[in-house]
Amino acid sequence: MTTFVAADRVVDLPVERAFALFGDPEAPGWLFGARCDRVVPGAAVSLHLPADGRGLGGDLSILGRFSRVVPGARVEIEHTQPWRGRLVLRFRGAGPRRTRVVVQMTLPPSGVDWLMHRAGIPLPEPDDDQAVRIGALSTMSGAGAVFAASSQAMAELAVAEVNADGGVAGRRLALLTADDATDPDQAAREARRMARLGCRAIFVNCTSASFEAARDALALTDVLLVHSVINEGGGETPRAIRLAERPRTQVEALIAPMMRASGARRWFLVGHSYVWSTGAHADARAAIARAGGHVAGERLAPIGATDFATVIEAVQRSGADLLLSSLNGESEVAFQRQSEAAGLRQTVQAASLVLDESTLSHIGERAAEGLRTALAYFQDGPADGNGELLSRYRSAHGPWAPPITTLSETVYEAIHQYARVLHRDPDGRAEAHARALLTRTSAGCDAVGARTLVAPSLYTAVASRAELHIDDVVTTPPSPPIVTGGGRRSPRSAR
Amino acid sequence: MEANENLAFDALSDRIRRRILNVLGEEGELSVGEIVAHIDAVGRTTVSSHLRVLRTSGVVIERKSGRNRYYSLDREGTARDAFTYLQSLLHAGLDAVETSTPRASDAEPEDRGRGAG
Repeated sequence: MTTFVAADRVVDLPVERAFALFGDPEAPGWLFGARCDRVVPGAAVSLHLPADGRGLGGDLSILGRFSRVVPGARVEIEHTQPWRGRLVLRFRGAGPRRTRVVVQMTLPPSGVDWLMHRAGIPLPEPDDDQAVRIGALSTMSGAGAVFAASSQAMAELAVAEVNADGGVAGRRLALLTADDATDPDQAAREARRMARLGCRAIFVNCTSASFEAARDALALTDVLLVHSVINEGGGETPRAIRLAERPRTQVEALIAPMMRASGARRWFLVGHSYVWSTGAHADARAAIARAGGHVAGERLAPIGATDFATVIEAVQRSGADLLLSSLNGESEVAFQRQSEAAGLRQTVQAASLVLDESTLSHIGERAAEGLRTALAYFQDGPADGNGELLSRYRSAHGPWAPPITTLSETVYEAIHQYARVLHRDPDGRAEAHARALLTRTSAGCDAVGARTLVAPSLYTAVASRAELHIDDVVTTPPSPPIVTGGGRRSPRSAR
Repeated sequence: MEANENLAFDALSDRIRRRILNVLGEEGELSVGEIVAHIDAVGRTTVSSHLRVLRTSGVVIERKSGRNRYYSLDREGTARDAFTYLQSLLHAGLDAVETSTPRASDAEPEDRGRGAG
């Protein structure tokens, strides 16, 4: 049962002014530190609820989209993180030049579970319904939450479709979900919990640091671990595999073409101080050298960093005219917004490796304009069956659900492809399933439900007017071996 | 926000107490001795004092049987506290508005427009 929590306060401002301050970049600390480009339906918004040392430590960040706006009176936000719910703000006159601000937030059972779990209380164990259990470990809170907005919803959609198609070898598929909170230790704990609850496979929609922690935590188990988001590669084991885009192909698709188009040669690299950026920047340096450019500077920031003033100054001092960012989540949003505000775009062309539609929406239209990226899937891309996928997603999760991204679509694909493997080999061990997943790919296939997840082809795209516009396709040679699936096949999901 | 409303979540801010709750969540009802066996590097006296805090805060239930005391999670109690905690965050967010609200006389929309022309 969903319950409501509410609070209100009177402020010494006229209603129109109080409403106008909400989300105003000139008043960043006002009313839950709302960050958005515009207060209009469909625009992305994040809110920050300060914990101020109360019990659980960290603040609470809410990510969502405006679903209804009545200027001067009411704002409704449908949010997906850290749980799915609705937050309503109302502004009413409370005497001359005074406004009563009322905030009301839904707290569904999933929200109660999330809060209790963050407090250290284990989640209730699911009933044993004889279903085949799999896990989806996603970043629903913390600095990485921006890029995982639709991951859980897409995992749920895939499992629902597998079950609608008859399940796996006569049994239902059941999905267990968990939040790594952008914390590798938490990822390890959740992976162990999922393994203890009998998950056959766990799909990790989190950073490489969390994937590695989960891999080590499950080293002695027969659980298949699948890293299903962009990653630098390496660190695989027979039971822990990595799919999706690699920075090596991303930088090949971006660096030389940007240099050719601009005539510029001096690059600056900005990323995080962990294994993802280390690997990505090594690939970038090699690609830059091959293209005849050079690296004028590099800065690495911790996961979750949001103040990039000194980094931007370093870029400006370096004389770089091209920039590659491997930042992700909240850090990428902060860096790109601050870069634009500092006027960096006037002298530096920028590419971003994790510029998915969700991250783009939080960066905002103005700050994202002109950014380039190279990814295997775009929500508005040409993959066969993409329109139908979007319809099913919107039908299942509503019109204000966060955009499908390459990260969440890869989770969806990986679950469908794993279900096919499991259907044919229900008693197989994790190692056999890992091998089957790595080899069962139709080289170059770009159809929803059968998309190539190992060394996929990439599309390059440029951000313009808050959307990513594809301008080229880069096929990745050499193609992996073709192993077409036998067994059952659903026309809808191409399973 | 009244102090006692945050009691449970304050009680949960301690690492050992969270560990105790984890053990109770995974194992069900346990005696003090059984809990001690699950918690590394902390003795019986320390565990007992943490259990007292958790019981007072309403997140664990104590059952006496003979000379033994058994502890288990009070899920209803903790769920209730989740509501209280969230409400405290909303209140804190609105309280912060007071300190970051521009003075009305400085911040009228018409004032904003004056320098633009």
